[in-house]
Amino acid sequence: MTSPDEHPRTDGAPAEASPGLRDRTGASPAAEAPAAPGEGGAADWQRLHPLSVWASAVVVAVFVVPSAIVGTVVLVVAGQPLWALAPVPGSLAFLALTTYLDLLRLRAVRYRVTAERMEMRSGIIAKAYRSIPRERVRSVDVAAPVYVRVFGLCSVTVGTGEKVGAGSYQLQLLYVTAEQGEWLRRDLLYRGAARTAGASSADGEEAREPGETELASLDPRWFAYAPATTATLGVGLGAIAALVGMNAQTGGVGWDWISDQIALPTAEEVSAFLMARLLLVVPLGLLGLLISGVVVLTAVAVETWWNYRLTREADGTVRLRRGLLTSVSLSVEGRRLNGVTLHEPFVLRSVGGADVRAVATGLAAGDAKKTTAKSRLSPAMPRERARRLAADLMRAPDSPLDAALAAHPRAALRRRFTRAVVVSVLGAVLAGALAWLHTLATAAWWEVVHRVEREIIPVPLASTAVEATPSWGWATLAVGITAAAFWYAVGSYRGLGHGLHPSYLVVRKGMAVRDTVTLERSAVIGWRITRSPFQRRLGLADVAATTAAGQGMYAASDVGLEQGLEWADRAVPGLLEPFLVRPGSDAEEGAGVRGGRGTGRR
Amino acid sequence: MSADTPRLRPPRHRVDRRAVWWWTTRSLTVAVLLTAAPLVPAVFWEPPRTWFLLAAAVIGGVGLFVTVVMPQWRYRVHRWEVTDTAVYTSSGWLWQEWRVAPMSRIQTVDTARGPLQRAFGLSSVTVTTASAAGPIEIAGLDRALATRVADQLTDTTQATPGDAT
Repeated sequence: MTSPDEHPRTDGAPAEASPGLRDRTGASPAAEAPAAPGEGGAADWQRLHPLSVWASAVVVAVFVVPSAIVGTVVLVVAGQPLWALAPVPGSLAFLALTTYLDLLRLRAVRYRVTAERMEMRSGIIAKAYRSIPRERVRSVDVAAPVYVRVFGLCSVTVGTGEKVGAGSYQLQLLYVTAEQGEWLRRDLLYRGAARTAGASSADGEEAREPGETELASLDPRWFAYAPATTATLGVGLGAIAALVGMNAQTGGVGWDWISDQIALPTAEEVSAFLMARLLLVVPLGLLGLLISGVVVLTAVAVETWWNYRLTREADGTVRLRRGLLTSVSLSVEGRRLNGVTLHEPFVLRSVGGADVRAVATGLAAGDAKKTTAKSRLSPAMPRERARRLAADLMRAPDSPLDAALAAHPRAALRRRFTRAVVVSVLGAVLAGALAWLHTLATAAWWEVVHRVEREIIPVPLASTAVEATPSWGWATLAVGITAAAFWYAVGSYRGLGHGLHPSYLVVRKGMAVRDTVTLERSAVIGWRITRSPFQRRLGLADVAATTAAGQGMYAASDVGLEQGLEWADRAVPGLLEPFLVRPGSDAEEGAGVRGGRGTGRR
Repeated sequence: MSADTPRLRPPRHRVDRRAVWWWTTRSLTVAVLLTAAPLVPAVFWEPPRTWFLLAAAVIGGVGLFVTVVMPQWRYRVHRWEVTDTAVYTSSGWLWQEWRVAPMSRIQTVDTARGPLQRAFGLSSVTVTTASAAGPIEIAGLDRALATRVADQLTDTTQATPGDAT
């Protein structure tokens, strides 16, 4: 945060917030009634809800009891009736033990929210005490998985920009009632406005709802973008590989058994049938992969993004709501949202889609890859819609994403071509080696390979196809790899860019995944310039702005050194200035070591 | 290139000359250990002995080369500077890095001395900001100087408004 605007607020917060809080709890007992988080004053220690133990027990039971029953059946079938008595009582005892431990944990956990801080005590044997100053709270995440929701509970995760106690960046309550979760969500992030909003707090819940503006809500058509990932074929492959794996586990017996039961032809007949119609089988196979991938990925997207709604509340807090089975509500303090990322993976980009992610302090950078990552503020949506949403989120008069991006020097392209050449050479070597092995393979050897493959998969195609490949097929492979490598190099170079907006800096890069990142210039807390030996030879550098938000560092990659320094200097005036020399205006060449007059005062 | 293109000038101060010996010792230790690894089986195992010896020779050669070249190179690159407004460092040898952090964003300042650094009377100053990009480290300063730098940084940081995030 910037020092000038922040300071008065931190100074004033404790003194001001305290009466404000009491006022709220006192003035509207009805609104606070359900969980009574502040009934005897704000400083009361609260407990987790007792039902949370049963929620956990149900979760464990759902997994343990059926597997115990299956175990019993298997043991009976296997002729071990004595052992069959073990699983069910055993699992029940296990369940009782975990529930008991959970009960102890529940008894030990206390939390409270005072005017200055949120505190939590926990631990049965090793006592832990963690405390977060309220002005350090960056995000509040309220999640309710379906098995918890049926009990009317939810989990609350409070995120901060720094470590809280033993290596954790967050503080988690498992579980509290939904009302209490909602109250915490509002109260913890409401500090800034607590002063000004004395009136609105008295008005209670209804008054605040109209204050929020909707930034985006779900358009079911967006689910069409869900399967547009490189993973689609992969997920389909995974689904089919699971079936094949099960067959292989039984040494091919599974398929034989099924074909006996329903009078299917044997594996040999099937493969002969298929090999005769290869032109039909291969496209159909790919289509099958595609469809199973599409189904799985769409289902995941629907689960994650159902009821999606992104709003900005009256006090500037950005609130995300989504989820079908696990409903999630995440609030990020407006001031902590230092920028956005327009995320465009290759396949999504080629169908004109994108999604928007937050660059915010307190949202863990490590989970950025997960589909349920907290930094994801939108599902995949049309590119233009995503850009509009990004502009709305940044509240800048003209969208920083529209800022003109400077291209990087041709040397950056040359660097990528060098890499492409290396990949091509490796590809040629690989193809050559395979072709050589191909000439070595004898008929007897192929026989063995075919037999092995037939045991694994009822429809053996791979090894037959390989055997049928003529030698020039391998040359095609080498050419294909070369073409792909150079195409990737050009795309990667085109993706590079950096620019400036009056209050944001913008960097873009990536071919497989193109990320356009905007970062508030006031959120830059330093620069990091790195140069590899190759970059030094070509006059390039990676110029990265370090920040407390998001990944912690956003770089303009392979930018010309002078270009990058100029950009960095203009982005944050004064920070880099003392360490730059401008040959035209400043001291003589080589003054670097001793010179740079008037810069340091030591 | 116009006359106004900026260049990055090196930070003002070099690290202590003794750092060269510190880096040499460190590199030599690693090189010796890595070279010894394939020598052990070479002693006990007859048939592939020549191959193990060859591997040891290659690793030893590279290790020796690094040990000779790296410390001098690092000494030319590693520099630091503390002004009233910022900390500025450069480090590395093949891969080089320049870091700038403003005083107002510094969270903590530590000095640290490993056993090897202590043997040479050296010390490191680590400057942490709120960024996940990692701390800024000035390694290989004279112990007394490191303490002075850390004190100065702490004083300046406290005098500079801002809560460092």
